[in-house]
Amino acid sequence: MRKALLYGLWLLMCLVIVGAFLWAPIAKGFLGESSRILFFHVPMAWTAFLAFIAAGIWSLLYLIRGRGVAHDHAALAAVELGLVFCLLATVTGAMWAKTMWGAFWNWDPRQISITFALLFYGAYLALRSSVPDPQVERVLGAAYAVFGLVMAPFLFFVAPRLVFSLHPQPVLNTQGKVEMESRMLWVLAASSLAFTCLFVWLLGLRRRMLALADRIEES
Amino acid sequence: MSASTWLAEATAVFVKEWRSELRTRYALNTFGLFAVTTLITASVALGPASLAPVERASVLPVLLWLILLFTATAGLPRAFVFEEETHTSTALRLAASPGPLFVGKAAYNLALTLALEALVVPLFLILFDLAVASPGLLALALLAGGFGLALGSTLVSALISQARGRGTLFAVLSLPILLPLLLFSVQLTRLAILGDAPGQTVEALLLYDASLTVASMMLFPVIWNP
Repeated sequence: MRKALLYGLWLLMCLVIVGAFLWAPIAKGFLGESSRILFFHVPMAWTAFLAFIAAGIWSLLYLIRGRGVAHDHAALAAVELGLVFCLLATVTGAMWAKTMWGAFWNWDPRQISITFALLFYGAYLALRSSVPDPQVERVLGAAYAVFGLVMAPFLFFVAPRLVFSLHPQPVLNTQGKVEMESRMLWVLAASSLAFTCLFVWLLGLRRRMLALADRIEES
Repeated sequence: MSASTWLAEATAVFVKEWRSELRTRYALNTFGLFAVTTLITASVALGPASLAPVERASVLPVLLWLILLFTATAGLPRAFVFEEETHTSTALRLAASPGPLFVGKAAYNLALTLALEALVVPLFLILFDLAVASPGLLALALLAGGFGLALGSTLVSALISQARGRGTLFAVLSLPILLPLLLFSVQLTRLAILGDAPGQTVEALLLYDASLTVASMMLFPVIWNP
């Protein structure tokens, strides 16, 4: 069963790659083929966002539901994976920005928010690695991650709206309209699904690793 | 706990902080000297005339908030780190409940920050010969920005007091929390100097302060007794 699901994910990813480069048309108003990066950049950013929100919720559950280690492992694994996806989204975004805007980095509001996210969750790992007592480490880490849940609206919704941005409108924009050709939308949806599944699979692996490491430490 | 004992406890913490501060005057001395040193460095390097008039409104607010941020980073983390260093935190855990304790410490840090601003801002305006078009807006930016700076630093101070390598860790943990606040404050200070309409920046800054307050009041008891 597990194997079949993994093959399914692999097939979906292959279809996304073929669809992104051969089937979907290029978007109007973009230089050359540069719009195709959207099929990877947007799902990466979405997965990172999902991972950080999930980490915040698991941390909250850890604090209010009797401090079970499983919740803490899930939160830690989600932050680590979120950072990986966040870094990938930053790099792909910078590559696209070089093509479209002429510079890798120009502090567009969205680039500011993604930098904040990287700094914040990097700091989370720094905090966890510098607390000697593992029990205290879990509680302080969870408190910091819950704090991130409070800061997220400012980073992702308030700050980008206050400054003029060149970034293309998000798919779910303020007007509530989807402005995208239907084939592009199909590929984007499939890619988002594939990246989310990839995240869930990796998260399960990392949680098992953390649980095993704990057992080795105990014995 | 009734509201009056709660308030009395918070006041007691606040008074205790000032009493131990006035014995050594460590924070006041560090704050004052650090602020004046950075201010003089900036002023000698730039002076009142070396910036073009167009550049002044974009450069000077950033400089002012950088001076305030780094001075705060030098003094504010002491709030809880000091208790761990002198091994008084266990006594403090027994003596005060978390809510009033946090409010007392944050009020002390806020008083320090406002004193710092009262020292730095007039000197800054004089040394750079800077005219402010709407002083009320500048006061609001300093008050709301200083409030967020003090509150965020107090919370992070409590977080790092139980970790190793506190000095570097404070900067690493507090900057992501304080960066949005600083961006809003710089923006508001710039608008105050130019005399432009503040728009939504005031709301954003106040909203940030409000959510910082709620989040730290809820999280502090957890951080303090892990």
